[in-house]
Amino acid sequence: MEFLRRALNPWGQDVPIGVSWDLIWAAVIIGAVFVVGHALMVPKKVGTGEIDPDEARGLPEKLQRHTVGARGFHWSMSAAMFVLLITAFFPVVGIQFPWVTIHWIAGVLLILTVLYHIYHVFAKQDFWAMWIGRRDIEEGKQGLKAALGRPGAKRPRAAKYPVDQKMFHHAATIVTIGAVVTGVLMMFRIDNFLLPQNMYLFSDSVWGWIYVIHGVCGIGLIFLVIAHVYFAIRPEKRWMTWSMINGWIDRDRYLENHDPERWVVGERGAVGELEGSGGGGGGTGQPALSDKA
Amino acid sequence: MAVMRDMIPPFELFQPAGVDDAVRLMREHGDKGWVLAGGLDTFDWFKDRIKRPEAVIDLGGVDELKGIAVGDDGELEIGAMTSLTEVAENGDVRSGYPLLAEAAGLVATPQIRNQGTLGGNIIQDTRCWYYRSGWPCYRAGGNICYAATPRSMNREHCIVGASRCVAVNPSDTAPALIALDAEMVVASTGGERTYPAEDFFIGPDIDIERMTVLEPGDLLTRIRLPAPWSGARWYFEKIRDRKAWDFSLVSVASMVNVEGGVIRDARIVVNGIAPYPVRATAAERAATGQAPSDETGQAAGEIAVRGARALRHNDYKIALTRNLVKRAIRDAA
Amino acid sequence: MAENVIGTDISPPDLRAKITGQARYAEDFHAEGMVFAKLLLSPMPHARVLGVDASAALAMEGVLGILRADELPVQAEGTREGALTDEPKYEGEPILAVAAVDETTAAAAVEAIRVDLEPLPFVLDPLDSLREGGPDAQLGGNMAGRGELTSLKWPASVFEEAGADRLPMGEAPVEWAIGDIDAGFAEANVVVEETIVHQSVTHHPMEPRSCMAYWQNGKLFLHGSTQSTERTRGNVARMAGVEPDDVVFIGEYCGGGFGSKISGSPIMAVPAVLSRKIGRPVMLRITRYEENYIGRARAGFQGWAKLGFRADGRMTALDLYLVQDSGPYGASDFFTAGTVATASYQPENMRFRGVAILTNTPPRSAQRAPGGAQIVAMLEPLVDKAARELDIDRLEIRKINAPDSDDGWLGAQQGRFTSAYVREALDLGGELFGWEEKKQLSGQRNGTKVTGVGIGLSPFTAGSTGRDGLLVIRPDGKLYVHQGIGNLGTHSIADTARPAADVLDLSWDQVVIVWGDTSKHLPYSTVQAGSQTTHAHTRANHAAATAMVVLLQELAARELGGSPSSYRVADGRVFRAGNRAAGMSFGEAARVAMELGGKFSGGEYPEDLHDATKAAVAGLAGEGLIAAARDNYERAGSVYTWVATFAQVELDVETGEVEIIDLASATDCGTVMHPRSLAGQTNGGVFQGIGMAKGQRWVFDPKWGIPFTKRFYTARPPGMLDVPPRPRFAAVDKADPYTPVGAKGIGEPPVGAGEAAYVCAVADAMGGLCLCRTPLTADMILAELEGRPRPYGLLDTHV
Repeated sequence: MEFLRRALNPWGQDVPIGVSWDLIWAAVIIGAVFVVGHALMVPKKVGTGEIDPDEARGLPEKLQRHTVGARGFHWSMSAAMFVLLITAFFPVVGIQFPWVTIHWIAGVLLILTVLYHIYHVFAKQDFWAMWIGRRDIEEGKQGLKAALGRPGAKRPRAAKYPVDQKMFHHAATIVTIGAVVTGVLMMFRIDNFLLPQNMYLFSDSVWGWIYVIHGVCGIGLIFLVIAHVYFAIRPEKRWMTWSMINGWIDRDRYLENHDPERWVVGERGAVGELEGSGGGGGGTGQPALSDKA
Repeated sequence: MAVMRDMIPPFELFQPAGVDDAVRLMREHGDKGWVLAGGLDTFDWFKDRIKRPEAVIDLGGVDELKGIAVGDDGELEIGAMTSLTEVAENGDVRSGYPLLAEAAGLVATPQIRNQGTLGGNIIQDTRCWYYRSGWPCYRAGGNICYAATPRSMNREHCIVGASRCVAVNPSDTAPALIALDAEMVVASTGGERTYPAEDFFIGPDIDIERMTVLEPGDLLTRIRLPAPWSGARWYFEKIRDRKAWDFSLVSVASMVNVEGGVIRDARIVVNGIAPYPVRATAAERAATGQAPSDETGQAAGEIAVRGARALRHNDYKIALTRNLVKRAIRDAA
Repeated sequence: MAENVIGTDISPPDLRAKITGQARYAEDFHAEGMVFAKLLLSPMPHARVLGVDASAALAMEGVLGILRADELPVQAEGTREGALTDEPKYEGEPILAVAAVDETTAAAAVEAIRVDLEPLPFVLDPLDSLREGGPDAQLGGNMAGRGELTSLKWPASVFEEAGADRLPMGEAPVEWAIGDIDAGFAEANVVVEETIVHQSVTHHPMEPRSCMAYWQNGKLFLHGSTQSTERTRGNVARMAGVEPDDVVFIGEYCGGGFGSKISGSPIMAVPAVLSRKIGRPVMLRITRYEENYIGRARAGFQGWAKLGFRADGRMTALDLYLVQDSGPYGASDFFTAGTVATASYQPENMRFRGVAILTNTPPRSAQRAPGGAQIVAMLEPLVDKAARELDIDRLEIRKINAPDSDDGWLGAQQGRFTSAYVREALDLGGELFGWEEKKQLSGQRNGTKVTGVGIGLSPFTAGSTGRDGLLVIRPDGKLYVHQGIGNLGTHSIADTARPAADVLDLSWDQVVIVWGDTSKHLPYSTVQAGSQTTHAHTRANHAAATAMVVLLQELAARELGGSPSSYRVADGRVFRAGNRAAGMSFGEAARVAMELGGKFSGGEYPEDLHDATKAAVAGLAGEGLIAAARDNYERAGSVYTWVATFAQVELDVETGEVEIIDLASATDCGTVMHPRSLAGQTNGGVFQGIGMAKGQRWVFDPKWGIPFTKRFYTARPPGMLDVPPRPRFAAVDKADPYTPVGAKGIGEPPVGAGEAAYVCAVADAMGGLCLCRTPLTADMILAELEGRPRPYGLLDTHV
C-alpha cells in the first residue's frame, strides 16, 4: 500500500498529486478494529450508581448541558461533515454522482458553522472548558485504569467535558482545520462563484501537498466519525448523546459522572452551566457563571 | 525517470474468438487489460506509453461483433466491430438511417474508416491535447485541468457540461446515434444490459476518468436502431479545420419530423461542445409546433446555447453551435 | 538528330522505385551487427543538466552504451547547435542517446535513466523577451549577432505606446532604407497600416531524418536523408570529427526536406559517433514525434507594415517592421523578407527595420521560401486594401508596381535581376483564371456562402552560379552524368542532366544518372536550397557537356584526322560535318580515351575545379572519356522567379469555413525544363502555402513551454481535399538570358503565392477586411463575422 499518489508533471518532475485512496479502507479498518476491540475490552457499565445525597441537594432534576446554539452548531456541523464525507468518498469507492458542487457548498456551510462555533465559544461559552489541564490528564489515567478493570481503580468524575471528549474535540479540530484550509485553497482549482479560478496559484508540488493534506484530513475524519458514532451509541454514554439532542442531563447522571467542583451548576436551580476546570494553572481558577440559560 | 514516446511497449496479446471469451478475459485482467477494436485510439495511447496495459484483448477475431442486420420489427442491429466504412456504405444504413451513414462517412480518412469501428468511434477517449500529452490532469487521475486556465490553449474545448475537466467528446457517430434514439447493448460477465444512446455518455461531474457508462469488464457489443422514422428530415454537419483526418470543432446531428409545414418532433444533438454529446432538448421544444423557418431556427439556436460559457479561446463555439442548430431546423423546411 | 529533351515530359529514373516502394530510404538499410539508438529528449523548454544516472539503463540486458553531449566533436555553444546538449533550449531537444540491441530495449533504457535537470527561465514570445526584465532564451542573451549572444530589451514606454493593437517598435538592430520614407508617405494619396502575425510552422517532411552509421577501416559510412549529397559529406565529416575523405555518405532518396535537410542534419552525429564508440553499426530511426522537435521550422513574424500609394496605384512608400521568432539558435528569414518585399512592389521609398529574438521553441531553418512566403502573405492583402481605396483593379495594381527585366531592382543594394517577366506572368495567370469574369463574383452571396477572389504574387530567389559538372562516356556508349546534387524529392536530379543530353544531342535513354552515394565519385556542387538547383546545376552540366563536346572533337580529330572544329556531335556519335560515317561512336571514343589517358580520361582536368571534384575525376580516371568543368558562365544580377496565384473561395458566413473553388497559377521561371514536374512543383508549393494560410498550426502551452502540434493530426498540414482537384497552371516560358539553359528555379516562389492568394480571397469575401493573421482558421473568421470577441490577441503568437 502506498501513502501518496504521485505523477510526473508536464516537465517530467515527480510530484505528489494526492493521498492514496487505499487509506480510505485503512481508516475504515482501523476504525472497525478500534470499535470491536473497545467493545470487547471495555465492559458496558451504566453509571457508578454512587450518588451523594448531599451533593444532590438543591440541584434541579434537569441540568442543561448544551445550549440551543451549541446543539445547533453540533448538528449542522455534523450534517455538513456527513455530506462532505459522502460526497468525497462515495465516488471514490464506486458510488458515482455529481459530487463536486455539493461538496464545496457543504464545505462552505461547514466553514460557516465553524465560524459560528468560534464566535460562540468566545462570546457565549468559556473557551477554557475544552482545555486539557493537569487534572484532565489525571482523570484520563484513572479512567483508563478503570476502563481496563484494574483492581481498585475507579472512574473519576469529570468536569463538564470528560477528557476523552476533549481529546476527540481537539483531534476533530485539527483535521477539520486541515481540511478546511486546504479545501478553501482547492476551490481556486474549481469553477465556483466565490473564488476566481487559478490553477497555478502554487507550484504543482505545493498543490500536491495541499491535496495530500486534504485527503489525509478527510480520511482522518472517517476514523474520527466512526469512533464518535460508536461512543455516541454505547449504552453508558447515551445520556450524553441525548443531551446533545434535548440539551439537558438529569441530576443523577450529573452527580454520577461530573465533579460538581469542576462543573459548578448554578444555585438558582435553573439548568446552568458553570465551568471551572482549567485544571492546574491553565484556567481562571474561578468558576464562572457563563450561561444565561 | 525520463519520458519516452512513439514506441509501443510490450504487452501480452489475447485474441478471443467470441464475446464470452472476450468478456472473461476482460474480467480476468481487470484494469490491467485493454480492449482493442480498430486501434485508432488505442495505438496513440500505446505509442506514447501513457496507457500501458499488461494484456491487450483484440476483438478483431470476434465475428459475432461484426455486421449489420435488420430485425423482424424493422429495427437495425450493428455489431460494435463493424467498420465505419461498412456503416457508411451499407445499403440498409443508407436507406433507413442516412444520418448515421453521413456521420460515419465523415470520420477522419478512408483508411481510418476502413480500420476504425463503430463501437470504437462511439467510446473513444477525448482528444484534449493536455490529457493526450500524458499530463497528470483530472482525467488522468490528477488534480488539475491544464486546459481551463486563462492562458490555456482551449480552442477545441467545451462550452457546456464542464466539471473541473473541460475536454469534449470527439465522436462523429455518437450524436447521430442519439438523434436516432439508438440503444447500446453492453455485455459483461453479469449478462447483457441496454442503454439508450443518450444515457450512455457521462460527464466529468459523474466520473472524470470515463466518457461512457462502460466500466472495466463491460463490452459494447451492438448498437440497435429503432425502425426508421418515416419522412423525417435529417441533418448532419461537422465543422473542422481541414476536410480529412480531423475531429469536429462542433458537429450537429438532427432528425426533424415536419407535417403540414409544422415541426412535429425533433431530436437535435450537438457534439464537440461538452464532455458528452448534448441533446438540445430546450431547442427541440422551442421548435416543435413551429414552421421550420430561419426565425424558428434562430430562436432555437439561441436557446440551445443559453447558459454556455466560453473559455479563453473558444467563444466562437457559442456562435457556431447556435448557427448549426439554426440550420438543422431551417433546412428541415 | 536526337529530339531536344528540354521542355518535354520524362519519367525520372527514380520514379518507378519510389512508386513501387523499392526505393530504399535511410531507415531501410541494414548492416551486419546493427543496433538501435533512441534519444532522451528534454522535458523542459530550458534547463541545465545537473547529472545523469544511467546505471540502471546500462545494467539492462541488451543495452550497449550511451552517448552524451560532451562526447561529440561539435558541441553546442551559444547559437551553435549540437546534436545533443546539456543545456536544452527547447522542450524536446535531445540530451543523450542510448544504444541497444533493439528499439524496445533502447526505449526501456531511456525510461530507466534519471536526469537531474534544473529548470531555467524560458520564453516563447519574442515580445516577452524584449520587455525589461523579460526572460531570455539563452543564458547569454536573446539575440544572435555575429556569432555572439547579446541581450536586447525595450523600455516599457515602447510597449505602452503601442498598446494592445499595434506592434511595439523599439530599437531595431537591423535597419536599412531606400529614398526618404517620410517623403514617400507625404506623396501618397492612400496609406494603409496594419499589425500582422505570421505563425511559425514545422516542416513535417514525410521522411523523418533517420540515419544509420557504421565504420570500416577508419572510414565512416552514413546513410541519411538530405537535400544535397556532396555538400552533406563535409558536414558529416565535421560532425564526426574526421576528414571528408573518410566519409562515405549515402542518400539516394529523400522523403522531403523543404529546407530542413539542406546539407544533412545535426542529429547525424549521433549514430556516427555512437557507432564508433560501441563498435557496432547504429540505426537511429527518428519518429514523427521526434521529427517535430528536431526537424526544423519556419520562423514566425510579428510585424507591422505601412504602405503608401499614389492615386495612379504606384507604391510610394513601404515601411516595414518585423520581429522574428528565431527559435533557440537563430534564423535569417527576416533579412530575406525585406528583400523579397522589394521584388514585387519596387517601392519608391522604403524603410526596413527588423529584430530577431531567440525563443525556447524548436530550431528554425529555411523552409521553402524562408521569409519570402511570410512577407508575401502579410503584405498582399494590404495591397488589396489600398487598391480598393484607390478603386484600382487588384491585378492592375500589381502590374503597376511589378519590376521588369530592364530596370527592376532588388533589396537594399538595388541590384538588377537577370530577368523579370512579372507582368507577363500576371497577365497569363489572369487569363488562365478568368480574372475579369471572376472578379465580378466578388462578394456575391449564395445562401450562406459568399464568394471571394484573390491574387498572390510571390517572388523568390531562384538560382545562383553552379559549381562543377562531371560527365563520363563509358565504352557502352552511354553518358554518365555524375550528380553531386541531391535527389531532394523533386525531379531536379534528372532534369538538371538534360542540358548535357541536349548539348551532346544525345537521346535521353542513353543518359545514366549517377547520384546519391559519395563513393560513386560525385563532383562538388551547390547546396540544394534557395531554389537554385535547376538554374545553377543546369549551368554546371551545360559547362561539362560543352567541355565534353570539345574533348570528343579533339579526340576524333586526333584519331580520324582533320581539325576538331570540323567534327560534330549527335546521336551518340562524333563525326565529320556533312559525313556521318566519318566518325566514331561514343563507345569507341570512350575506349580510345581510355587508351590515350591524359585529359581524355581524367588524367588532367581544369584547375578551377573544386578539390572534391578533382578527387572524383581522379577516382574515375581511365574509365572512359571524362569531362569536368566549372560553371564560369556570367550571372549579371539576381536570379528571381515570380509566381502569381489566383484563388476563388466560398466563405460560409454561418460557420467560418472556407472552400477553395478554383486555383490557377502562372510563373515566370525562365525556360520550362519539364512541364509536368514544373506544374507539380508549383501546385505543391501553392498547396503548402495554402496550408499555412488556412490551418497549419504551431501551438504551445505558455505556462509550460510545451508544444501540442507535434504530429500530423494536431499540426494540421493541408490534405488533398482542402484544395480543388484540378488546379490550373501555366508558364511564361521566356528564357533567362544569363544562363545558357534559360531556366530559373521554381521550388520556393509558389508557397507565398498560394498563401497570399488564399488570404486575399478570404479578405475579399469579408468585404476587404484583413484579419492580418495566419493561420486564418474558421474560429477567427466566425468570431469576426459574428462580432464576437477575437479568439486571440492581435499580437498573440504560438496559438
